[in-house]
Amino acid sequence: MSRTEIVEGYTPNFEGWVQEFHEWQTRIGFDPAWLGDYRFEIRFDWISAGDSIEFGDFEGMPKWSRRMQIPQQNIRDAIITMISVQGDTEFASVEQQNHLLATAPTEYDRKSALRIMCEEQRHGWQMAYLLCTYFGEQGVREAAKLLERNAQDGTRLLGSFNAPIDHWLDFFCFTHFIDRDGKYQLKMLSTSSFQPLAASMGPMLKEESFHLGTGANGLRRIVKAGVIPTTFLQKYVNKWVSTGLDLFGTDESTSAQWAYVYGVKGRYDERESGDDADRDHLNEASRGLYFDEIKAEMARISKGRPEGDPELYIPSDKFNRGIGRYSGNLYTVTGEDFEGSEEEYAEYLAGVLPSDEDERKLVEEYMAPGVEWIQYREWKE
Amino acid sequence: MQTHALLNVDRDLLLPFFERVPELFDRYHNDPQSNPEVYEELLYKIHRPLSGDMLDMIDDWMGLEHRRFNQDQDLMLRLFLLAIRYPDTLLLESLDDVITEDVRRISAYLHFTSHTYTIWDQDTRRGLKLLGFDIPDTQKADPFIYGAYVGTIELIKDLAPFTCFLEHDVPRQRLFQAAIAQYGREA
Repeated sequence: MSRTEIVEGYTPNFEGWVQEFHEWQTRIGFDPAWLGDYRFEIRFDWISAGDSIEFGDFEGMPKWSRRMQIPQQNIRDAIITMISVQGDTEFASVEQQNHLLATAPTEYDRKSALRIMCEEQRHGWQMAYLLCTYFGEQGVREAAKLLERNAQDGTRLLGSFNAPIDHWLDFFCFTHFIDRDGKYQLKMLSTSSFQPLAASMGPMLKEESFHLGTGANGLRRIVKAGVIPTTFLQKYVNKWVSTGLDLFGTDESTSAQWAYVYGVKGRYDERESGDDADRDHLNEASRGLYFDEIKAEMARISKGRPEGDPELYIPSDKFNRGIGRYSGNLYTVTGEDFEGSEEEYAEYLAGVLPSDEDERKLVEEYMAPGVEWIQYREWKE
Repeated sequence: MQTHALLNVDRDLLLPFFERVPELFDRYHNDPQSNPEVYEELLYKIHRPLSGDMLDMIDDWMGLEHRRFNQDQDLMLRLFLLAIRYPDTLLLESLDDVITEDVRRISAYLHFTSHTYTIWDQDTRRGLKLLGFDIPDTQKADPFIYGAYVGTIELIKDLAPFTCFLEHDVPRQRLFQAAIAQYGREA
């Protein structure tokens, strides 16, 4: 059962980082006044984190609650990396999205996006807190880097978090597909052998569910409004799905295997699954669950389309992949081998992914002022 | 008040419920009797400025006859719905009796205009009792009884583990109220 602890006092290391955080907000143009009465808090759910290591070679031993309890330096390094990557994505998404507040289609969407940005920053705070509080000088250095890398400069750790999010359709796709990947990552860390990391995940996952709901809900409202044809929307689905699938990492990943051996990062369904883990294919297993989930979600979103519009679908997991066994090969959106030259494939991609002309049409015609391209919804407390 | 409530929670009663929240919600919300498509449409269609047609749509979805309020009472109701802020329920006392005579109706108006307020129903009340919260029955919108009802559902939401939180296109208060109602219905 959930019982959230809110941390009252901070270490000097973390207080120093908070100063840097305020400078980062100014640098990226996020006005702190937008936060209203929202307060960044460090929240732990120790009960759901559990006391004993749940899987891997240390299974059954007490979870580690301090750095010096972690038995090997390489395990400490793996935990620091996990926390740093998670924190990096949180700040990156705010850098990618905060400019959209000025062009929100409704007040509901503006407030939803703002809430998401506040919560992403809080998640980043939580990760920085872990680094500064539990990992000494090394942690402080990594926490500082969370604010030094920048999505606009393309220096964030993961590709999707350097991609520009130029308009609200990309925002909804991002929150639907990429934040959903985030949910998977958080859940995989919720069973971690490092207890403060596991205990951070419960409150973060509760907040993340709103972010995913905003994405799915936004796409559903666009489909229901019927202004942007589903054939056009399909190109954006094609664009974001392959990125989301790549975020799960390489096939037959040895780093995922080591993280499992250390008990640092489990499977998405670690507590629910009765089967032993296939340690050689950990990323593939989580990616498979994600893929099934987005297919089911897309069927729901597509239900609201106007009569006569073709159904939206999730492209094949082979299509347009940047990593893994399908990368470097030419596949169609339905997963067949593409018969033709690389030039012909580039031409094919231009037809199934958003082109510059599509981007112009989207912003200047479909989303032009006065066009109700998304179903209206009022913000209610 | 929240601290007092937390101390009085029987956590053992809540655990089996929390393990089933997604399934319970799904069964209740997607039951054809609940008419989920219309419910979800109402989340969009009810907005400010409130019109009589909007309140009629809520009455229809609830399966209630359309309200019979005079012009002043209708205005009083709409001002009330605009003014009230969670967790206040005492404002109900300012309304004419005819407006508050059916707690189901006024709670549905409150829910669709301010999602934090939950819809009153008997299955939910039975479910709350199974979870250790005995909310007295009432026909009328008593501010204390209805206040305890919405406050308890809010407390259960706060205590729930993250596995209960679906990314669904309904407010979280509805998610928990529906799951509690199904829990009560099955008893």
